[in-house]
Amino acid sequence: MSENQATGIGEKISSLLFLIGPFVLLWGFFWLVPLIGSFEESLSLSPQLVGKIASEEQFTLMNYSRALNDGKFIKSLENTLIFVTSTVAITLSIGFFLACALFGIPKLLRGFSLFLLLIPSLALPGTLANLFYLFFHGKSGALNQFLIIPLGLEPINWMMNPSWILPCLIFQAVWRWTGLITLLLYCGMRAIPSWQFEVARLEGATSWNRLSTIIYPGIKHLLFFGGIFLFVDGVASFSGAYNLLGGSGGVLDSGLLFVTYAYQVAFPGGAGRFDLPLATAMCILVAVFTVLISWFCIHFHKQKHRQEW
Amino acid sequence: MVRQLITRICLAFMLLLSVYPFLWMILSSFKTNREIYNPSQLLPQFFDPFSYRLLFSGEFIDFYEVLLRSVLLSGGQAILACLVTAAVGFALAKGRFRGKMILTGVSLLVILYPKQAMNLSLFDWMASMEMTGSSYSLLISGVASGLGVLFFTQVFRKIPDELMDLARVEGESLGESFLCFLPLVKPAMITYCILHFFLCWQDHLLPLLILGAEQLTLPLALAKLADSSYRIPEAVGLAAGVMAMIPLLALFAIFFRQIRTALSDWVVS
Repeated sequence: MSENQATGIGEKISSLLFLIGPFVLLWGFFWLVPLIGSFEESLSLSPQLVGKIASEEQFTLMNYSRALNDGKFIKSLENTLIFVTSTVAITLSIGFFLACALFGIPKLLRGFSLFLLLIPSLALPGTLANLFYLFFHGKSGALNQFLIIPLGLEPINWMMNPSWILPCLIFQAVWRWTGLITLLLYCGMRAIPSWQFEVARLEGATSWNRLSTIIYPGIKHLLFFGGIFLFVDGVASFSGAYNLLGGSGGVLDSGLLFVTYAYQVAFPGGAGRFDLPLATAMCILVAVFTVLISWFCIHFHKQKHRQEW
Repeated sequence: MVRQLITRICLAFMLLLSVYPFLWMILSSFKTNREIYNPSQLLPQFFDPFSYRLLFSGEFIDFYEVLLRSVLLSGGQAILACLVTAAVGFALAKGRFRGKMILTGVSLLVILYPKQAMNLSLFDWMASMEMTGSSYSLLISGVASGLGVLFFTQVFRKIPDELMDLARVEGESLGESFLCFLPLVKPAMITYCILHFFLCWQDHLLPLLILGAEQLTLPLALAKLADSSYRIPEAVGLAAGVMAMIPLLALFAIFFRQIRTALSDWVVS
């Protein structure tokens, strides 16, 4: 190897270290090491079991089996699953509709309307929870006044009725994210070449034809991206439910989401069980499941995209 | 015609649902508890800013400090994350080296692994390193963002390869080229900075775990003000909500056009 080549390789390595070094270092320190540590933690003996089991049983998958046999954990997973699927489906549908609707109003008003739709996304989840409690909730709240009473039904006590707690959390999440998803889809629709619409117009295509052959194919990768974003965010949802239900799962745990329960298990103030090994085992179980589902979806989406081309 | 009318009515309804509750919140921050518990009343009887006086008086929380901490924490993390992830995005888009797939996979994994599920592990690790109770450790822990890496990879892919060839002919290394090309992606940098600021601004669980009881960020302060056991007037919590929205609203209002353009460009790529 000549001296010039060696200098070139040295420069390339130092350039790469300059560019990717800080990220890799921070990722390793604040992501990889804690993850390995938490796996080790999840295998350690829970303080709740000290003195109750023989020492040779300590380093086993006991915490994972305890998590899977915990009825409250299973309940929190069921709630989270309903919460996530409903939020993703409703938010994407409304976002898609609103993005299309924005093209039906004068150009001058579009940016302003989009900005107004974004307002709930810019509020803190705590603000949304507080607002939900004071404005929408209650006998004289907006939901009862404008939705329930006009239908001739009895006012609903939203946060005390176990059947309605989860729908309230879903409403809050949909309200929060619809503006952001609309912005994303609107930007995607704006990027579709105008000649495609021109050709469709000359061909006499109906609105449905335009929607199904130009708009939907043009933004379906964004719908997919939005879906994955909402899915991961929904699984990790904490702040809204924590503020709305005061850190509990609500009546009969009907609004207990997975992160809230993991927090309750790990730290005092919730159920007061101080059980970090069990909580980390729960987090790892759910996180691995989430990553696998998302990864599978991305892989499936890519394969389908390739086949279409 | 009828379809267009229905669409516009639906859009108007959604706009109302987005704006009216916040308008009510702003006006209610001037109301008494009794007026607030009657949500159909929009205007307060008197425009008395007592809640803002109480909020900034430090009687319940030191709100100036909370606001400053949140701004510095979110702003500092956003700027650092922007620089660090832009560098990786540039390396992935324009560099030729082994392990690109691994680095992309790592970034994707960081996005897909639910952040809140990671927080307990991070807290445990930081507690063992005696890093809890410090705003600096909280600031630095969120810098390695997978979303940023993937965002900037797409952004830098749009820079023509001819410019890279020119930089190479001029004898510039990959690192020097990155510094040269940074001004070309200014709108994307601003957009990502604001998006990261927004995500950090809203983070609740990690500050709750890492910071001490006296070091509140805005989400923690709002939870404390909403806690009924403190018997704080509702208007104070609403005033805090209004104050917490102002910085983000201002940032989005100022840079909205740039954000929209950068997102449209990113969507195309």
